[in-house]
Amino acid sequence: MLKPKWFYPSYKKDVGEWAWILHRLGGLALIFYLFLHIFVTNRLAAGPEAFNATMKALSTPVFKFLEWGLWGVILFHAFNGIRLVLVDFAGASKYQKLLFWIAFVLFLALWIPAAWKFFL
Amino acid sequence: MKRKFKIFRYNPEKDKRPYYKEYEIEIGEGWTVLDAINHIHWYVDGTLAFRRACRSEICGSCAMRINGKNRLACKTQIKTLGKGTIKIEPLPGLPIIKDMVVDLDPFFRNLEKVKPYFIKYSPLPEKEQLQTPQEREIINEAAMCILCGACTTSCPSFWANPDYLGPAALLKAYRFIFDSRDEGGKERLEIINDRNGLWRCHAIFNCTEACPKNINITYYIKKLQNLAVNNQF
Ligand code: HEM
Ligand code: SF4
Ligand code: FES
Repeated sequence: MLKPKWFYPSYKKDVGEWAWILHRLGGLALIFYLFLHIFVTNRLAAGPEAFNATMKALSTPVFKFLEWGLWGVILFHAFNGIRLVLVDFAGASKYQKLLFWIAFVLFLALWIPAAWKFFL
Repeated sequence: MKRKFKIFRYNPEKDKRPYYKEYEIEIGEGWTVLDAINHIHWYVDGTLAFRRACRSEICGSCAMRINGKNRLACKTQIKTLGKGTIKIEPLPGLPIIKDMVVDLDPFFRNLEKVKPYFIKYSPLPEKEQLQTPQEREIINEAAMCILCGACTTSCPSFWANPDYLGPAALLKAYRFIFDSRDEGGKERLEIINDRNGLWRCHAIFNCTEACPKNINITYYIKKLQNLAVNNQF
């Protein structure tokens, strides 16, 4: 007998599976950011110079771009998270696709225009 | 009209690893995918193995992965599958015995765990036990399941962990727990309120997309989760 695989990337994905993949990757990214955030804040303990140096390193265009990406991850995770809460507790399964697209539009609407805030 | 089929092949007695074989056949008007693979099996390549029985969407034997998605071969009209080559593979997440024939033991073992039969402790009534239409309505959709396995084998949580009860077993649990005549609700809830039960559902909806009986399985799993949560507070 041929052993099954633990994941089938070729399985046809509808919005539900895409939402789950993005939500999980986003959740992991947020945890990673949380640790980074704790580390950066903790630089305060090393005195004003060390903190200023860290802050300066984090003001480069690369980090600005990453911060904008982080904002996107937060938005998607939050809006899709509300969709999941409605599915979990409000019996909204029948409307999950509509809810996904509402969440997705809200995510884009708050993410794309926010770019100028981060880059200018 | 000619159509191409790209079919998963694996014979444990001959093949080290599985491969895909292409067949091009003339298909008739109104043919389903089952008609096509029957034709291949009867007239082109008798070594092709797959399960089927009723050819009318009720026995559940012919569930397989068609163009990436779990479906019943006998329900899937070829003309709904677009123009390209039609890809046929076994159900994911289960050991493969030969070609499209998978080992369904893990699926049925999970089903067995939820006690998929009526439980009655009080004395049996003299006559048949009736339900009101409202009581029936609650389990009506859930009772339509034909146990084809398309849902459970479409679920990423089940792929990653075959001990996860999976959508079909949970739906069966719902069907009995919410049946006004059944008395095994409490013990079933204890079984499914488990690390390999209810809580592995992440609302991915692959099961609901795959179900050939259009059962909104996710909806019922969430109802069970709500019941488990409310019971504990
Ligand atoms: C805006 C507020 C938030 C909402 C509404 C929200 C909602 C949710 C929900 C409903 C889930 C369960 C998904 C599932 O069952 O698969 C979840 C999972 C998760 N969240 Fe959040 N969340 C929020 C913020 C955060 C933050 C700030 C972090 C990290 C610091 C985070 C990290 C995670 C992780 C790691 C998971 C597990 C991923 C998974 O199960 O797929 N979330 N979130
Ligand atoms: S719920 Fe639907 S997909 Fe799952 S076993 Fe029953 S009929 Fe098949
Ligand atoms: S052959 Fe019975 S469901 Fe398809």
